[in-house]
Amino acid sequence: MFYLIILLVYAAVDAMACLGLSQQFGVAGVTNFGFIIFQAAGAYVAAVLALPPDTANGGFQTYVGGFGLPFPLPWIGAAAAGGLLALPFTFLVGRRLRGDFAAVGLLVTAVLLNVLVTDYRPLFNGDAGVALVPAPLRQGMFVTTSNAYQVGYAVGGLALAAVIWWLVHRITESPYGRTLRAMRDNDKVADSLGKNLVALRTGALVTGGAIAGLSGAVLVSFIGVWSPAAWSYAETIVLFTAVIIGGMGNHAGAVLGAVLVPVGFEEITRFISNSNPSLPPNLLPSLQWVAIGVLIAVFLWVRPQGILPERKRVIPRRPWPPWRALPAAAAGRGAGPAAGPAAALAVAGTAAAAAPGGSGGPAAGREPGRPAGPAAGPAAGGFPRPARRHPRPEPVRDILRTEGVSKEFGGVHAVAGVSLSVRRGTLTGLIGPNGAGKSTLLSLLAGTERASSGRIFYQGAEITHLPAYRRARLGLVRTFQLASEFKRLTVLENLLSAVPGHRGDSFLGALAGRWYWRADEAAAIERARGLLARFGLERHANDYAGELSGGQRRLVEIMRALMSEPDMLLLDEPMAGVHPELARRIGEGLRELCREGMTILMVEHELAIMDEFCDPVIVMAEGAVLAEGTMAQLRGRAEVVEAYLVG
Amino acid sequence: MSLLVASVGFGLITASVLAIAAVGFTLQFAVTDVLNLAFAAVMTAGAYTAYAVNAAGMPIWLGTLAAMAACAVLSVLLNYLVYAPFQRRGAAPITLVIVSLGMALIVEFSVAAVTGGVGVSYRMSQGSTIRLGGLVLTTAQLAIIGISLVVMVAVHALLRYTRLGKAMRATAANRMLARNCGIRASRVIGLTWALTGALCGLAGTVFAIDVGTFTATSTDIFLILILAAVFLGGPGHAYGAMLGALVIGLATEVSAVYIPADYKYVVAFVILLGMLAVRPAGLLGART
Repeated sequence: MFYLIILLVYAAVDAMACLGLSQQFGVAGVTNFGFIIFQAAGAYVAAVLALPPDTANGGFQTYVGGFGLPFPLPWIGAAAAGGLLALPFTFLVGRRLRGDFAAVGLLVTAVLLNVLVTDYRPLFNGDAGVALVPAPLRQGMFVTTSNAYQVGYAVGGLALAAVIWWLVHRITESPYGRTLRAMRDNDKVADSLGKNLVALRTGALVTGGAIAGLSGAVLVSFIGVWSPAAWSYAETIVLFTAVIIGGMGNHAGAVLGAVLVPVGFEEITRFISNSNPSLPPNLLPSLQWVAIGVLIAVFLWVRPQGILPERKRVIPRRPWPPWRALPAAAAGRGAGPAAGPAAALAVAGTAAAAAPGGSGGPAAGREPGRPAGPAAGPAAGGFPRPARRHPRPEPVRDILRTEGVSKEFGGVHAVAGVSLSVRRGTLTGLIGPNGAGKSTLLSLLAGTERASSGRIFYQGAEITHLPAYRRARLGLVRTFQLASEFKRLTVLENLLSAVPGHRGDSFLGALAGRWYWRADEAAAIERARGLLARFGLERHANDYAGELSGGQRRLVEIMRALMSEPDMLLLDEPMAGVHPELARRIGEGLRELCREGMTILMVEHELAIMDEFCDPVIVMAEGAVLAEGTMAQLRGRAEVVEAYLVG
Repeated sequence: MSLLVASVGFGLITASVLAIAAVGFTLQFAVTDVLNLAFAAVMTAGAYTAYAVNAAGMPIWLGTLAAMAACAVLSVLLNYLVYAPFQRRGAAPITLVIVSLGMALIVEFSVAAVTGGVGVSYRMSQGSTIRLGGLVLTTAQLAIIGISLVVMVAVHALLRYTRLGKAMRATAANRMLARNCGIRASRVIGLTWALTGALCGLAGTVFAIDVGTFTATSTDIFLILILAAVFLGGPGHAYGAMLGALVIGLATEVSAVYIPADYKYVVAFVILLGMLAVRPAGLLGART
């Protein structure tokens, strides 16, 4: 009986830890090889908050603190400690560092901290660890050794695990969770869509850290002792194994993994060693680790998605009836009259068309007093016109301008002193032979890469030093030459992930729950469906983007960029690999967008497309601008013909 | 003062052991694209192979050769059976790192299961003590430094003057392009695993000679020193790893004069995290 209770408590602790790890690794794509130190920190902090000063008990152990705080303060402190401990590591998981290098940094940290805590006795009693940690609520009517108390503890632990599940579920199933998953699938693209990677990863580290800290508190309050041997770096690998086997990014999978691996393994080992007392003491633990290693490799090979794969988020045709969702939101924000027909309108056009139409849709309600977008709906067959989300500054004729922008890669001048300007409302083409530096220039403009020298101005303001996500939020959005869809998001989710200013796309918004953001979500879904209808991809709305054909994926990317409500689009070969018929439709659509006020700079190889749609056209060769003009003018210039057709 | 000089001596020995391992690790990463966290575990396997040969009555240099052979075979097998299939399937770099951690567990704890948790030492003479200025070194320690220098020169010659070395550098720079230029990349990669595996075995043996008594888990901390040296010099840069090994080796041992010896690894750790934060490409790597 008692043994069963121990198992239940362990299951609760491991389930919580695995949920936290799955949130980081499976959902946000942050590989935290130091996960165990967050659990350890929580356990130690809970211990020293609950323990009396270390002079008590004859002073046989030394530790900092010893505040003798009553339950639940030690547990709260543990969760806070786990979360705070994550902050110093923010710099590791930031924008610049490769994920696997960051993981190595965290692994090394875990090993080192273990060594330090082992060797430095004054902190947490060194190698021996802290002992006699009081159980919660030990005074009063509860006797900690009674059966009822033990059962109560197990039930409480399981209930807490359930609360954690509810919490991570709320986060993961929100637009914020969708953004986390988008970042996991392709962080560079998420960056280019206005997602602040550092903030997102910090959020994942802190959330997971706090959960891990709490799990440590639950554990230490039950077993009463905590020493460095309990949190060797290899324990992290056990938790990783659990999450991999159970299913990354699936909460039920994380719990299943927790039951199968940490709990199950202990059970099996105990069973074997009990039935074979003659075995050498070191053998079974060693073989246990070998088995963990084998499980990792075998599962990643045979079933990388785990026993319970990540669920596909299918969004039904009408998630919330408009007569319920939209008026409720409008009333809640006092944004004006009910917007019953808004949804219907948005199907034909966009939510943006609905917003200035006086309906007070969700987007308009958020930023009162900002300039309204163009009132006219899109022409029949035209592209949906996105809403304005940021006040447009004093209109300057050249929406984008560069002064001597250069980029060096180890001595190679990929872009060498490019000065150009793009007029507002034009569909400007950018051509040049392979290696001319077109894509690199686009990366510099969008902020995906930093210019080695030179200055970039957008809407009259300098943006040379702004990171990509800030530029995207200003309305300067790019697409990529290579397929860049979020593979494990559906097509619809890909589009929704780009919506700016979504109320559910923040940590607090996600915690607030669905009622808080469902109006934004409904509007975004309608707008996305409008785009899908326009591009003929409605049938694939709920397919994984990674399963589409190459041409369809290009479309998804363009639609996603449009969802981000840009003022200026930087398109890197949007028609490459697309059926000519469709390419023509894309071209017409882009021209339509420009007529309505958008500016587009487009890299393209197909001269026929340039001929038909682009004016003016900029020619690049060997990193520099060679010429600019209409295609007809350019054809007359010998050096252009030579560079492009011969070189 | 004499303590400082002596610590410089210890630093040079640590740096010598570290340099062999770090160069092996970094070449492995550069050419094969695997951040092989099982490297230290394979070192342990090598150290025990040498122990087995040594315990059977053979001299330690024979044991060292056996360790190099065993680790070369083990590394080639790891690549052939595990890493290469994952790479062919297009697994993400982070997946390979996780797999390599799994391999580290398998190798390290297989060794632990076979050998038990008892510490062992080689049967060998440390040789006579030699004084060089303020430095006091045994013949064995001098030999370690000598072996390391020879290895560094040999690696330099390999990369600079041989066809294989050039092919390795080409494959590291751009595997696809190397293949298109007629380099048999898979063969180069296989040879790299064998070569770096041999370095790994050598590193394991000299590590064991240096520390005296070792167990299956002795190299856990050493992996951190390797990673620190590799990231300090820039991952994938052989000369960077040599420089990194020298800096880390000296920094850890000299710092032990001023802070308790238990904490000497903190220096390596701080250097590693600092490099990751400020300049992930390392001292000799290209700025990104």
